[in-house]
Amino acid sequence: MGASSVRYLRFALLSVALLLAGVTLYLDHRVRDEFGQRRFALPARVYARPLELHAGLRIPRAAVEQELRQLGYRETAREDEPGWFVRGRNEIEIALRPFVFWDGPQPAQRIRVAFDGGRVASLHDAGNRDIPLARLDPLPIGGIYPGKNEDRMQVRLEDVPPHLVRALIAIEDRRFYSHIGVDPIGLARAAWSLLSGKVQGGSTLTQQLVKNFFLTRERTLRRKATEVIMALLLELHYSKAEILETYLNEIYLGQDRDRAIHGVGLAAQFYFGKPVQQLTVPEAALLVGMAKGPSYYDPHRQPQRALERRNVVLREMRSQEHLGAGQYAAARAAALVVNPKPALGTSPHPAFLDLVYRQLRRDYPEEVLREEGLRIFTTLDPRAQAAAERALTRRLAQYDRERRFGDSGLEGAVVVTDTQNGEVQALVGGRDARMRGYNRALGSARPVGSVLKPAIYLTALGEPSRYTLLTPLDDSPFVWKSRGAQDWRPANYDKQFHGSVPLRVALAQSYNVATARLGTELGIDRVLASVRRLGVQRELRPYASTLLGSAELSPFEVAQMYQTIASGGFRMPLRAIREVLTQDERPLKRYPIAVEQAFAPEPVYLLTAAMQDVVREGTARSLANWLPPELAIAGKTGTTDEQRDSWFAGYTGDRLAVVWVGYDDNRAARLSGAAAALPIWGEMMAALDPEPLALPKPDTIEHVWIDLQSGLRADSSCAGARELPFAQGSAPAGRSPCTSDFPSRVRSWFERMFGR
Amino acid sequence: MKYAVILVALLAGCAAVSPVPAPTPTPTPTPAPATGSVPGAPSVAIAGLMESARADAGAGRYAKAAASLERALRIEPRNPRLWHELARVRLKQGEYQQAESIAARSNSWAAGDSALRAENWRLIAEARAARGDEAGARSALERSRGR
Repeated sequence: MGASSVRYLRFALLSVALLLAGVTLYLDHRVRDEFGQRRFALPARVYARPLELHAGLRIPRAAVEQELRQLGYRETAREDEPGWFVRGRNEIEIALRPFVFWDGPQPAQRIRVAFDGGRVASLHDAGNRDIPLARLDPLPIGGIYPGKNEDRMQVRLEDVPPHLVRALIAIEDRRFYSHIGVDPIGLARAAWSLLSGKVQGGSTLTQQLVKNFFLTRERTLRRKATEVIMALLLELHYSKAEILETYLNEIYLGQDRDRAIHGVGLAAQFYFGKPVQQLTVPEAALLVGMAKGPSYYDPHRQPQRALERRNVVLREMRSQEHLGAGQYAAARAAALVVNPKPALGTSPHPAFLDLVYRQLRRDYPEEVLREEGLRIFTTLDPRAQAAAERALTRRLAQYDRERRFGDSGLEGAVVVTDTQNGEVQALVGGRDARMRGYNRALGSARPVGSVLKPAIYLTALGEPSRYTLLTPLDDSPFVWKSRGAQDWRPANYDKQFHGSVPLRVALAQSYNVATARLGTELGIDRVLASVRRLGVQRELRPYASTLLGSAELSPFEVAQMYQTIASGGFRMPLRAIREVLTQDERPLKRYPIAVEQAFAPEPVYLLTAAMQDVVREGTARSLANWLPPELAIAGKTGTTDEQRDSWFAGYTGDRLAVVWVGYDDNRAARLSGAAAALPIWGEMMAALDPEPLALPKPDTIEHVWIDLQSGLRADSSCAGARELPFAQGSAPAGRSPCTSDFPSRVRSWFERMFGR
Repeated sequence: MKYAVILVALLAGCAAVSPVPAPTPTPTPTPAPATGSVPGAPSVAIAGLMESARADAGAGRYAKAAASLERALRIEPRNPRLWHELARVRLKQGEYQQAESIAARSNSWAAGDSALRAENWRLIAEARAARGDEAGARSALERSRGR
């Protein structure tokens, strides 16, 4: 060998060594930098409203049981742990789980709830003492996830049962505690298989962690080399316990629709419905075994494979003396029991989560929501949400089958709120309520048609000296001329004109011409100002056609508008969030109720009476097919040009709901508010046992018996007479001939006049 | 604000006609039973919440007091006393506009309780004065005296 070639070899070796040193330095920097501040991104957890039980609450027993089942309460009593319920005669015994609420922790508690009819009759604790209130833990309804929808619940190593750690080490890396990050024996085996043509196996837990934490999935020699170096560096800088804890939180253990289940903490909840501390030996062995291939060994879909894999892990534990003979036999004999797979994904109610996300984004940056593990307490009422989803899905499928309104593919949206505080109880963004994506309740603005009319009548009723419920409106042909625009000739739905009609009848029958004339009389700007005061922030164009609902709003905006009417003139921003807690359960932010008086109570009271007539005798009278007239529901139908959109908006004493039905491509159809949207509203509300509507009567409103025929004062003895509300002093002065003290001669003259 | 003034003016005008507003039963709509309780008397369900709200408010923990009151209001949304207490907490928090609106909400459910209505009007007067609306405060104070 010549001197020059020796020199070259030396030079080459030196270069390789330098390069290796450089790469190592770079990797060392990455390991310390990225792993050193390893903070897993923790998704925000979102909860429904907690169910509050108290004597007198209107709720059927079945609904309470349903909620307990959704919460994962088991239907058998256990002495040692909470989270179960037992049904008795007209009562339920519940072992409530502990939970940390915004106002502090609530301990586990045993309660008995007695029912009477559709109500809670009484509430007792374990000592048979009356208790005023009991709060169930709230139903988790999803999360706001980091990229790739990784979900996890972080655990500390000391919370993980030792048998789980032993199982993991036994099956994945038995020399974990003795090697230096790389297992020479395993590495030799890997090298051998490499020579024989394939790259495989032999990874220590440290290497697996490096792989998941830093590297891509590709399988090349260079990547393998990087993995080895980084594993060595990791062991150099961090303790075995730190590496193990990170591994246990990182590990991928399954898929729930679009949500990836990471870490043993979440997997314990997901598969067994319990905290990791409580995992038994066979349960721990199953989780550890699944790490090799979570979809291949999926206990939901492949129970036999999963069982065999679990038993392989148990055998390995036994052979390494981690289990005694008795323990081993018991664990092997245990059946494979996993929780039924919840159809949760990132959320079962993506449309509502979308609303929560939008409202949170006003206060928090995106990464805080996706990574800080916030706990978000929302206003979702699972019972209302289920009723809304069911009614919409069922009815639209039926419409499609019958081709009642046009081609199949009808879409819809529902918003349900609490009339008293503006909390959003349910939101459905399309007929497939589970589907993420286009949220028609929030994102789609559609022409609102007659649903806007209450704003016009509210404006009118604000002037009691000019307008009462009985004021005659002119429903004869009408032309509206404005400069620079085509003449506007509104027509009625039935293509007829109805002459002079009382104001309340014009609204009840939704007469377009009379309403358009009224709106232009009042002034379009004034009507639009009322729309704004009702809570619609979108700028509507000041055209006459806006009066008849050419304006486009989302179902959510319509709900906001009706909310102000339903709460007696008090505007309340619709809210989906009550409170936010930090990851470690400290109060962070509360979203308090906000109230602003937008209208005096009198016109709102009068408008409500008129909207009750819409349901009682007007375009929404078919609601009687679902709900009894005693509920005195107020509402309004809406149909748009060429019947492209069908709306119904209305409220009971406790709930307000808006339903929209139409086609996404906005095609002409045969939809009308009463035919398409109203049945969905009726079916949903009927399932929710609504409270009757009774707005508080302002002192300045008086009820007067009116003969509807003549529009004059009557008394209760008159046939066909009704009590109607009037702002004080605005009721008609004249007396109808039907009243008992009316001079009989004049009465007969009147009767001839009015043909009675 | 403008509407509140109009409202006050309206109410004041009407009060001249009927100095003692008597609660009259409404024929249609049928009076609804308050959720889970006899209207008027606070039920056992909310008594505890009201008590802790008072204790929290007394100790200056207003956010906590408001949370308890809102929780109680979800149980009895038509209880004017609860709305009044919430208005009081908002006043203490310096949320004058909210205090006034919430007191008005209390009034809307307090048809039969002239003492509570007077309290609400005094609270409204206080909120208006704190905002610098002296005229509004005076007229609210007059309302509180039943004029």
